[in-house]
Amino acid sequence: MEHTSGFVLPNSGHSRDDEASKLGMWLFLFTELLLFGGLFIVYMVYRMLNHESFLLSSFELNVGLGSFNTVVLLVSSMTIAMAITAVQKGEQQKAVRLLVTTLALSFVFLVVKYFEWSAKIHHGLFPGMDYYNGLPKGESLFFFLYFIMTGLHALHIIIGAVIIAVVIARTRKGLVNKDKYALAENAGLYWHLVDLIWIYLFPLFYLIH
Amino acid sequence: MENTNHHNQHDEVHISSYRDHWRTLLTLLLLTLVTIVISVFGANLKALSVATALLIATVKVVVVAYYFMHLKYDKKLYTWLVLLVAILFAAFTILTATEYFNR
Amino acid sequence: MSSVSTNLNFFEAKKGIFSWIFSVDHKRIALLYLYSLITFFLVGVTLGLLMRYELLNPGKDLVEAKTYNQIFTLHGVIMIFLFIIPSIPAVFGNFFLPIMLGTDDVSFPRLNLLSWWVYVVGALMALSTLVFGDGPADTGWTFYAPYSVKTGTNVTMSVLAAFVLGFSSILTGLNFIVTIHRLRAPGMTFLKMPLFAWSLYATSWIQLLATPIVGITLLMIAAERLLGVGLFDPSIGGDPILYQHLFWIYSHPAVYIMALPAFGVISEMLPTFSQRTIFGYKAIAFSSLAIAFVGYFIWGHHMFTSGMSGTARFIFSILTFLVAIPTAIKVFNWVATLYKGSINVQPPLLYTLAFIFQFMIGGFTGLVLGALATDIHLHDTYFVVGHFHYVMFGGTGFAFFGALHYWYPKIWGRMYNIKVANVAFTIFFIGFNMLYFPMLIAGLMGMPRRYYDYLPEFHLPNMISTYGSWVLATGLIIMLSNLVAGFFGKKPKVGRNPWNGITLEWQTLSPPPVQNFDRMPVLPQNGPYDFDHKPVIEE
Repeated sequence: MEHTSGFVLPNSGHSRDDEASKLGMWLFLFTELLLFGGLFIVYMVYRMLNHESFLLSSFELNVGLGSFNTVVLLVSSMTIAMAITAVQKGEQQKAVRLLVTTLALSFVFLVVKYFEWSAKIHHGLFPGMDYYNGLPKGESLFFFLYFIMTGLHALHIIIGAVIIAVVIARTRKGLVNKDKYALAENAGLYWHLVDLIWIYLFPLFYLIH
Repeated sequence: MENTNHHNQHDEVHISSYRDHWRTLLTLLLLTLVTIVISVFGANLKALSVATALLIATVKVVVVAYYFMHLKYDKKLYTWLVLLVAILFAAFTILTATEYFNR
Repeated sequence: MSSVSTNLNFFEAKKGIFSWIFSVDHKRIALLYLYSLITFFLVGVTLGLLMRYELLNPGKDLVEAKTYNQIFTLHGVIMIFLFIIPSIPAVFGNFFLPIMLGTDDVSFPRLNLLSWWVYVVGALMALSTLVFGDGPADTGWTFYAPYSVKTGTNVTMSVLAAFVLGFSSILTGLNFIVTIHRLRAPGMTFLKMPLFAWSLYATSWIQLLATPIVGITLLMIAAERLLGVGLFDPSIGGDPILYQHLFWIYSHPAVYIMALPAFGVISEMLPTFSQRTIFGYKAIAFSSLAIAFVGYFIWGHHMFTSGMSGTARFIFSILTFLVAIPTAIKVFNWVATLYKGSINVQPPLLYTLAFIFQFMIGGFTGLVLGALATDIHLHDTYFVVGHFHYVMFGGTGFAFFGALHYWYPKIWGRMYNIKVANVAFTIFFIGFNMLYFPMLIAGLMGMPRRYYDYLPEFHLPNMISTYGSWVLATGLIIMLSNLVAGFFGKKPKVGRNPWNGITLEWQTLSPPPVQNFDRMPVLPQNGPYDFDHKPVIEE
């Protein structure tokens, strides 16, 4: 860091700044929230315009599976929060175990989602299918939104799972450790966001009857 | 000029205990149970049921953000920014809803 | 902090095309943006000239109606998404924000490079509709449903391009917010930041929080087209007006993404060319935030004639008038800054004054459109086209070229020919007003917008307007060739501070070294425009 003119700029965009990474992550989460926010506005308006159809359609969804997945995500949120505690305390092995649990839970969520979706598609409820096209006014909108919103959410779960896998690898190598854990923290923030969105999706689609 | 930036050190980091995390989870599970019970057995609440479900969901979200996402222990800036985004989104929905209610 | 032991300027530090397109240096990325932006701008100008030529006389002059629709859509998409949204932040923000804050780069240099690449991909996607598929979209840049779902032209690619470009815009905004929070020089509090940084801060928040909404909306349009089912289709319970809501929830604040950085540039140039402190620093800084905030809640004024509910129209109209307040605060402060200043008339100041004049015409016509009764009469007329171009081109466009003239010596270390620049400005200014003022009149006469043809009674204003477009193009060509000539010419190198400016970029070498500063930057005592205690910097 020597300069001929013998000074060092006090702040540099090229040096490590964990606080900046965290702020950046939060800002990114805001954009994610508003991305889903647009869909929630569509949901709100169409629910207002097609009240009865939305109620009827929501009976098609399986409350049991929805609740199960809600619990899965909540528990996974706790395990990743614990993983960060573990890293901060220097308990690397425990951190890895907790992260692996989180990853496993994300798979459980996706498998359940897969069965839910295939059942719906089997009934011809996917937009564009014959049965879907014959649905009464409003009900087709419900399923269009159901597939878009849970689909986009599932995509976020997949991305989150990949990020967690990276954190696992880096924690095992010791690259994430008690002095340097911004990556784990940010992965945690992202994972909690996925959880937050599900917390709203669940009642709006499964519990409105 | 003195280096006033704290790039590497986390000054006074708060480490949440495992027990705190368990407590948070229990709270969240309890709220989930309540919302399911209201929905499945409380059909006579009608219009209120959505409001209740959203209210409980919001409480859950606040719990997650406050404890799991560490807002409680972070700089206040983050809480303010989250509030700003929440207000903004609420304003979008309220303005849009006003339009459709008055059609 | 990388270690470079010399003060080689950022042009000389590395050579070769790869040292540019993979550079993480904010200054190089800024220039990458500049060159790409100007290229797309010239494409957009060409399309605009074609449209004006078509409208020279009533009846068909040059192209068919459908081609005309495609041309004006592509003109809008290019000018808005490829030129004016990124313009000032991506070029001058990238180049000067870190320098003005006294640091060596943005907070996430690699993300910065990524956002340029994403921009290029989006631009190529938008332009690919010229070659692939069934031709460019013919929907207008707003992609209104249900037509955007039904038309056979290549709307899917266009909306995906807009989505990708939005992503690039979000990344830039995110980077700037973190940079402003984390990398200000010690001693530079928020209230000692240059106003350009303030305006970028406000802009970045809009980019960050509004863009995702249009992103998801455009994806819904794409999904509708791909699945063949309409989410905005009334026959299944959908509502086309909801599309307009979602579109304008972003696109109205986006107007301030385009305008706020221009306000920032103007607030930099005025103190420099008046040699005195800006009048009402805090008022200007906070009014940027106020505009950004209020700007979120007035999207409905684009939809007064759409069939929206009366109550909502009323609310949106009132809120629209509110946003005029912080804007007027800025204009008054700018004019007050000139008062009793030592005014130094140079090309950037001419652009600044033209900005204030034209932006005021744009602003006042905006109020005419924000009022419910007059809007019903004027909404689908050329009045809107005139208003929009006065704000965007007469405002932001002029600020952009003013900024280019202002920071030119700092970026390239040379000066252009000032006399030629003044002549070019005069022609440009006359051409601009000839081109757009008649549109306001034609609109008041009742000429509808968006058509490739018009009734004979609108001939005169259209003729003047088309001639104006040629004058404008002439001015533009002279201006740009003068700038290019200055770059290759034999003009001597300029020193650190040719305009006697005060913000930190004028303390360093021209062009700046890779690390931005060759010695420790010194902040003026009382805020960024404290000309009374301007630090003495030796060459």
